[in-house]
Amino acid sequence: MKSLFLASLLVLGLVGCASQPETNTTMIDRQELRVDPEVVYAADVTELFKSRLTLPDGSSLLQVQFAVEARSDTELAWKVTWFDDLGRVVKGVGESYRQATLLTGQPRYFKATAPHSRATSFQLHLREPK
Amino acid sequence: MLIRALAISVGIAVLAGCAAPTRYIDPAADDGPVAMTMDYRDFEKAATDAVEDMLSSGAVNNPDGSRYIMVVSRITNDTMQRIDTDQLTKKIRVSLLRSGKVVTTTAVGLNGAEDEMNMKARELRDSEEFDQSAVQRKGTLQAPDLSLSGKILQRNHKVGKEQQVEYYIQLSLTELASGLAIWEGETPIIKRGSDKSVTW
Repeated sequence: MKSLFLASLLVLGLVGCASQPETNTTMIDRQELRVDPEVVYAADVTELFKSRLTLPDGSSLLQVQFAVEARSDTELAWKVTWFDDLGRVVKGVGESYRQATLLTGQPRYFKATAPHSRATSFQLHLREPK
Repeated sequence: MLIRALAISVGIAVLAGCAAPTRYIDPAADDGPVAMTMDYRDFEKAATDAVEDMLSSGAVNNPDGSRYIMVVSRITNDTMQRIDTDQLTKKIRVSLLRSGKVVTTTAVGLNGAEDEMNMKARELRDSEEFDQSAVQRKGTLQAPDLSLSGKILQRNHKVGKEQQVEYYIQLSLTELASGLAIWEGETPIIKRGSDKSVTW
């Protein structure tokens, strides 16, 4: 009985020391649209479309279009970050935010095209420039 | 004499203390003041607009699936500033290369090859000092399919007590086989600020 208990303890100890099995990289759910509270206060994102644009060579590019309508005159900064199917960032031309001025009640439409056909998902971030 | 030297030292120390500290600026998060002259943000905006439009228009998409070869032609600087237009064209070249659609040749240019080593390396032909199997053979350089040209314009206006400076970045992509501009774009960059600002 005592030897059985010792054997069990030994097995448990060994299991505890064993290296953890490799797991696949967990994909964190990434929001496609992130709007900072200051922007939510001043404007609404009324539309957000995504589609793949087919090119003459058969490849395709992810395109995003969104519309914003302001409740009061405000400044907006926006940026789209592109990701491949493994969730890695696909580098675009620049890294900076694009700025826009919104006038009260004026709907504005903005479009962005992925820099490579490898891009399969995106994140659109809207913030107020300081 | 000693008092004068002390006063100068104290003055310098005070001025140094008031100076803004030198710091790095992250281009991805730069909300800093805007200059009336063209800065890196303007070139980035123009390059982003141009590349996104070129890619989505299909102009740089070779139907046979291979990459187009582009040469950078003249980008005229018609502003009051000394601008190195490579600041604009380099961003476009890098992005088009990354897109997998276009590669730029450095063997051809309006003022000779951008990289003179293309021809220098070929001068090694028939030299007994070099292993000829590694020397570039005749007829290996690739001729361009597309040419990128353009102009940067500046217009100054007085608006009330302020000054308005308009920059227009105009670009054309010409298909060299036909001489037709298969893509054209213009990015206006308008700035309004103090009339005392200097834009050259």
